[in-house]
Amino acid sequence: MVALTINGYSYLVDAPPDTPLLWIIREELRLAGTKYGCGIGLCGSCTVHVNGEAVRSCMVQAGDVEGTSITTIEGLHYADSHPVQQAWVEMQVPQCGYCQSGQIMQAAALIAANPAPSRDEIVEAMDGNLCRCATYSSIVGAVERAAAIAGSEA
Amino acid sequence: MSTTDTQLSRRDFMVRSMATGSGLALGIGFTTGAIPGARAATEAAEAFTPSIWFTMMPNGHTTVHIVKSEMGQHIGTALAQIVADELEVDWQHVTLDYPEGSAENFAVYGLAYTVNSGSVTTEFDRLLRSGAAGRIALIEAGAALLGTNVEDAVAANSRVTDSVSGRSIAYSEILSQTTIERRFAYPDDFRDIPRKDPADYKIIGKSMPAHDIPSKTNGSARYGIDVFIPNMAYGALVLPRSRYGAKALSVDDTKAQSIPGYIQAVTVDDSFGKCTGWVVAIAETFPAAMNAAKALEVEWDAGPHGDVSLEGLLTEYRALQADPEMGAPWVDQGDVDGSLANADEVLEAEYTTDMVVHATMEPLNATVHQVGDTWHVHTGTQSTSFARMTLTAYLAHFLGQPAEEIKVVVHQRVLGGGFGGKQDYDEILAAAYCSHQVARPIKLIQTRETTFATSFPRTPTLHKLRGSIQGGAFTAMEHDIVCGYMGPRFSVGKAYGTDWLQLDADDGSGRDIDQWSIGGSDHWYTLDNHRVRAINHDQTTWAVQASALRTVSNSYNYFVVESFLDEVAHRLGKDPLDLRLSMLTGEGSSRGIPNTGHEPGTGSDYYMDRLWISLPWPAENSWIPYESATVGGAKRLANVLRVAAGKAGYGKRMPKNHGMGLAVSAAEERQSPTWVAGVAEVAVDPESGEIDLQKLTIAMDMGIAINPGNAVAQIKGAALWGASQVLSERLTVKDGAFEQHNFDTYLPIRLSQVPEIDVEIVESGNHPSGVGEPSSTVVAPAVANAVFNAVGVRMRHMPITADAVKAAIQAT
Repeated sequence: MVALTINGYSYLVDAPPDTPLLWIIREELRLAGTKYGCGIGLCGSCTVHVNGEAVRSCMVQAGDVEGTSITTIEGLHYADSHPVQQAWVEMQVPQCGYCQSGQIMQAAALIAANPAPSRDEIVEAMDGNLCRCATYSSIVGAVERAAAIAGSEA
Repeated sequence: MSTTDTQLSRRDFMVRSMATGSGLALGIGFTTGAIPGARAATEAAEAFTPSIWFTMMPNGHTTVHIVKSEMGQHIGTALAQIVADELEVDWQHVTLDYPEGSAENFAVYGLAYTVNSGSVTTEFDRLLRSGAAGRIALIEAGAALLGTNVEDAVAANSRVTDSVSGRSIAYSEILSQTTIERRFAYPDDFRDIPRKDPADYKIIGKSMPAHDIPSKTNGSARYGIDVFIPNMAYGALVLPRSRYGAKALSVDDTKAQSIPGYIQAVTVDDSFGKCTGWVVAIAETFPAAMNAAKALEVEWDAGPHGDVSLEGLLTEYRALQADPEMGAPWVDQGDVDGSLANADEVLEAEYTTDMVVHATMEPLNATVHQVGDTWHVHTGTQSTSFARMTLTAYLAHFLGQPAEEIKVVVHQRVLGGGFGGKQDYDEILAAAYCSHQVARPIKLIQTRETTFATSFPRTPTLHKLRGSIQGGAFTAMEHDIVCGYMGPRFSVGKAYGTDWLQLDADDGSGRDIDQWSIGGSDHWYTLDNHRVRAINHDQTTWAVQASALRTVSNSYNYFVVESFLDEVAHRLGKDPLDLRLSMLTGEGSSRGIPNTGHEPGTGSDYYMDRLWISLPWPAENSWIPYESATVGGAKRLANVLRVAAGKAGYGKRMPKNHGMGLAVSAAEERQSPTWVAGVAEVAVDPESGEIDLQKLTIAMDMGIAINPGNAVAQIKGAALWGASQVLSERLTVKDGAFEQHNFDTYLPIRLSQVPEIDVEIVESGNHPSGVGEPSSTVVAPAVANAVFNAVGVRMRHMPITADAVKAAIQAT
């Protein structure tokens, strides 16, 4: 049994504690917005927040994050309009969209920690998130836009 | 209620709203007699009518039915824009749905297959006409309700207005107050249907937000991997011994049995020629299935391709190329032999390209279960039609039942990337087999590792080129291509029992040519003497399961042709831009095909006549575009080249070790070219050989950009796909198996490697062609040409690695 707090809800999940968090989120709790991409922490599709920090849920054992606050794409904002989500729609970032939950969670963690990231800081923070459609050209601008939206909402 | 109208000919179509309170539906080409029970899953029962392309509800809400796959190109939005503009429906009233892949829908919509950057090209014309027919019917009905003349009534923004009195009526009022039955005879009415002046387009040509984007920002988009069926079990594949042809002789699951949740191991019936050597671990959870797959001990027969290696293949390719009896001519113009014999100088070069693979971010997966007599498949596929047909044939094979008695429905999901990599159906077959074995729904998820191991890469290729230089001019080009044809794997070609190939490329000896493996070598330059010899290496096709990858053969053939043309230019002492412009005259076979206004459905010489007409779809549903995407021919290529060169500042002075290179291409097919030119700007470190790709400039003429904002996004994404291919992606085979299994060794481009990209859309107003792929084809040759201009080495292998550049520099 693993006790997890995800998006503000408490779950008791019948799974071995060494189960990767990703599979519990996706297949047990069916919060399917978090995606499986590589399983070795190299693509970022499975990015969630643990206590506000972006982590690769495929690399985290569920038993290690008991007692933490976990946020998935579904819980990022009560109305799906976190500044990053707003910017992503405004700039029409997603193509196939599969990696975008991870991109958005990564970007949200970045601007939470660094409200006005430079271009280099954005590239550094986002470089671990693969996008096979290569929406990269939109991503840097969209993160800047998200930071601006967040600044105006604050 | 009966909707059968025996007065309709097979090809007539009807705009019809049913009894008040139902809605308006419209389509071409539904068959008479039995009205198919096909409709979109989300369509309310009372709105059911034999519709194809869109349905209007009494409240005016319009659902456009999309039979194309959403894999990142936002095709549904583009197709809906085409319908909505002619229909004069308020864009806010438009939604989309995606009909499932069933035999009934196949009878209505024809083949559902999303490839070749062909969706807009093939659908544009008939969607315009269908939308126009709906508008006309609504105007007539609206005029009657307003008590005015039809000639005075106009439609806009979901309203019909009497232009004399100014009185108007909403579409919703028309649809809820009256019944429309308006017949359009096929082909005459359809051909002559009045369409809007393109200058009046309000939705086409606007960057409407894509319908599928909001769901892709909040986690609600549902991909194949996101399907959950009650009581389902999970399947994970054991890494097969070799890519194709291995046999699992025995499976020992002693160790797996101690894994909680493990159910059983299934050795998939591979006597159908698919899923060879597949052993699937079934478990209650996917982690348990993965662990069990690793714990299974399988004894293998490596099969007939178990010793295949890349080096061995290339050795065999060279031997085939050296034998003049091998292969068949794909292009054979003028007197190549005479020109080469009389040349002042013959320029020779060998080019090679490695395998690359789709590596879609969504690993391959399928969920299959049987309910009653129907097999349900949930997956994201580029063809629900072929998925259904393939599974039907496989079920018939292993169940021993007649195919006619097997019912399969493919529920389409969003695709987490396609790129040509989701037009094989192995996961579906294996999931169905496992589901049958354990009598439960099975969700088969390929891990990233097994996705790589069972992938369908682009073939390795070898090219031998000879160019004739005579009197300071480029007078002939000979291009031999050796590769593994992808066609035979899809049963393409006469030798495999179908005639789905370019017949004019058949030399009569039975040596078919697979145009998907050779296309692009038939470039648009005017050159009197030009020959392309296509040579198939059959074992490659099977051993690596050669397949289509974004732009298919264009990706390697334009790399080779455009690099070689630069070699010729430099040898002639001409600027590569000048040489290209002098050869892009649009004369002879490069003039393109003019619009001649042929009869609908007759094909003649347009896009679908050769490539598509023999596809297994109901002929009466076919609509051959009136307009040719090739109008203007190579002159349009010259135009975009001038634009790209100008925007990039081509010719400007570059710092040491910096260079600019250019290239053009006309992917995807000869009949559906998108005219594109690219300029790459690189800096090369002569010590390490590292290429810093600093800027790409792309100019593209796709005729009409349905959604310019999305077109630019597609062009940029495809250009980066090309950059990724030329700089870092490489798949190799050793002992019959692929050596790269994850993103630690297979290296797609990342954000930090992304250059500045400047895109210019050149709208010529001609018939639109696709934008999802073509820009990727110019990047590799433009980079190679830029590297030459930067450091003077000619790189004739793709990818161009730093080590290779370094070695080439040291060799000079």
